[in-house]
Amino acid sequence: MSLKDPLPVAKGRLCWFSPNWVLLLLSTLALGAFLGLEIVSVAPNRIVSGTGYPVFSALGWPGTLLGAGLILALIGLSCMADQRHYRGAYRAMLAIVMALLGLMPFALMVAIHRLVDSDLPQARLGIGAGFWVTLFVLLLALVELRTRLALARIWSWSLLIPIGLLWWLCLSLWLEPLALMREYHSRSEQFFTAFRQHLELVGTAVGISLMLGMGLALLMRRYPGGQKAAFAVLNFLQTIPSLALFGLLLAPLAWLAANVPLAASLGISGIGWAPALVALVAYSLLPMVRNTFIALEEVSPAVIDAAHGMGMSTRQVFLQVRLPLALPVMLEGVRITTVQAIGLTTVAALIGAGGFGTFVFQGLGQAAMDMVLLGALPILLMASVADALLGAVSDFLRPGGAK
Amino acid sequence: MIELFHVTKRFGDELAVDDVSLKIAKGDFCALVGTSGCGKSTTLRMINRLLEHTEGRISLDGQAIRDFDAVQLRRRIGYVIQSTGLFPHWTVARNIGLVPRLLKWPSAKVHARVEELMDLLGLPEEEFAHKFPHQLSGGQAQRVGVARALAADPDILLMDEPFGALDPITREKLQEELRALQARLHKTIVFVTHDIDEALQLANHLVVMRAGRVVQQGTPLELLHKPADKFVESMLGGVERGLKQAGLARVADHMLPLGSTLPAESRVPGSMTLRQALSVMLRDHTERLTVVDPHERPVGELSMRKLIRESKADQGHQREH
Repeated sequence: MSLKDPLPVAKGRLCWFSPNWVLLLLSTLALGAFLGLEIVSVAPNRIVSGTGYPVFSALGWPGTLLGAGLILALIGLSCMADQRHYRGAYRAMLAIVMALLGLMPFALMVAIHRLVDSDLPQARLGIGAGFWVTLFVLLLALVELRTRLALARIWSWSLLIPIGLLWWLCLSLWLEPLALMREYHSRSEQFFTAFRQHLELVGTAVGISLMLGMGLALLMRRYPGGQKAAFAVLNFLQTIPSLALFGLLLAPLAWLAANVPLAASLGISGIGWAPALVALVAYSLLPMVRNTFIALEEVSPAVIDAAHGMGMSTRQVFLQVRLPLALPVMLEGVRITTVQAIGLTTVAALIGAGGFGTFVFQGLGQAAMDMVLLGALPILLMASVADALLGAVSDFLRPGGAK
Repeated sequence: MIELFHVTKRFGDELAVDDVSLKIAKGDFCALVGTSGCGKSTTLRMINRLLEHTEGRISLDGQAIRDFDAVQLRRRIGYVIQSTGLFPHWTVARNIGLVPRLLKWPSAKVHARVEELMDLLGLPEEEFAHKFPHQLSGGQAQRVGVARALAADPDILLMDEPFGALDPITREKLQEELRALQARLHKTIVFVTHDIDEALQLANHLVVMRAGRVVQQGTPLELLHKPADKFVESMLGGVERGLKQAGLARVADHMLPLGSTLPAESRVPGSMTLRQALSVMLRDHTERLTVVDPHERPVGELSMRKLIRESKADQGHQREH
């Protein structure tokens, strides 16, 4: 072959093995977990630890074959997903993942029907490792598919919300023998109190730290000399372990409650919501201040120069130009702070601040894993919803509207 | 009229502008030229008080700019910068209407003015009014920048290297448009640039600055004829000065009536610059060109020999002064 010959090019031939390795790995994992791990466990009551069942005894052969078939289809599609100009494979995979997510509560129903003895009123079905891993892996696959198909946020929402509604419907109507639901029904009132407390603590903490953070950031812009010191203090606050901070706050707040009548009448005491709130605000300040400060600083100097040059007053430049341009980055700070506060509030249950952490720590104390889940799952859900909502708002506020 | 009397600007100990005196008449197109860091932008930004001068006096129509409120003053002066500084969160129409809105014009008037300006700058309203700056090309964005500066019909326009970031073709087009615009609007323009060709093309008042001082000022021809020192000479292109000068003259102003000899084969329009005509001579290996009007009718001829004789006479004339 001489140098002048054209290089050989594979033209127009479809190459059947061009895998998306991420999806291939995920779907293989899902298959392994689905077939190899215990899908559910059954216990006659709350105290006794349950017996695990693999997939074919839980779902029977038809269910097993359906599930395994769908996952196998995923594996097959992910092997040829990466062909250029061909998005059909990704669309098909998205459909299969959605179908699997939608079928999962029905699988639990089948398992209840087959395994739970309806004569025992306390008998319960626990969700096993195989089920969790499959669910988790499918959600990861969903994230990857969303990126590959470049789905707009609104699309992913309109796909996820029906699935969420389906789950909620199944859980409230037909999945009563599920251990999680048994735990919920025996303390549904506490559940909503915990939810309210959790929301209140997070909301108040984020609100206070937003105002303090804005104030601090503005002060730091006005007095640049204080920047280093302020960030040093905030960084230091961030390094104190949360439990230690609660402990440190105990004494001064208790003293305050004992010596200042107003504080006591406001309900401030060494334990409870007061130290939790102080600690949450302390932790929230750093991300809030840092994002607000950077957002305000990073507005293009040319834009600010033009704004002044056009004859806008200092106030107009700030309110009409600097602030609106900084807002998306500032909201990013609110998002980080909120998600972080939702997590931290869990620990605050240890000092009697309430919230979903109560279930987590009670469940740990009683070795009742389903109760731990009853606390942990809503926290997870709250965090993801807050994350998605605030992310959407921040996207919407970007220059030029939502893109 | 803009006047600067012995104006000095210090940043700390550093002298950025050193004893500058300028008189920019109404309707003048004044270009401040110099290498970067020579204080030309600083001088410009002192006129609308984005920077306060340290010493001396700056006045508009005889009144010191310190007597005005800085914000009110800037609303009376158009301002265009290199990076356009368009507000990325506002549409094109809203960007252009900024100063009229600051001046509290009724919204119908603002709207009409925005429409008028978009038309003037060649930005079709239905296509561009609702676009955001990030959707515009560099040239379009700078047109919006100029429209925004002209919105409240200011007498004075300050332009800080407005075309510096554009590609050569777009830059040339916008220069041409700016010249046409100035011929219609007769604003007083102060234009900062480091591109001497741009300055020669556009300005009728050239100010060469170096290290914070004015080295020489005058009309482009005055400077080309008699550069004050080596620096101005090299700034004006050194040995290529002759060509730059030829670039300022039109063929129609230097042609001779059609003679009795056979007309030359190469033809050039009368609107061409002398520089371009010289290039045509070199290309076609001729020293005579036939000048034609827009309808391709011969109206005169251009002769290299006559041009040289003419410029000799011109120089002699200059020397007598």
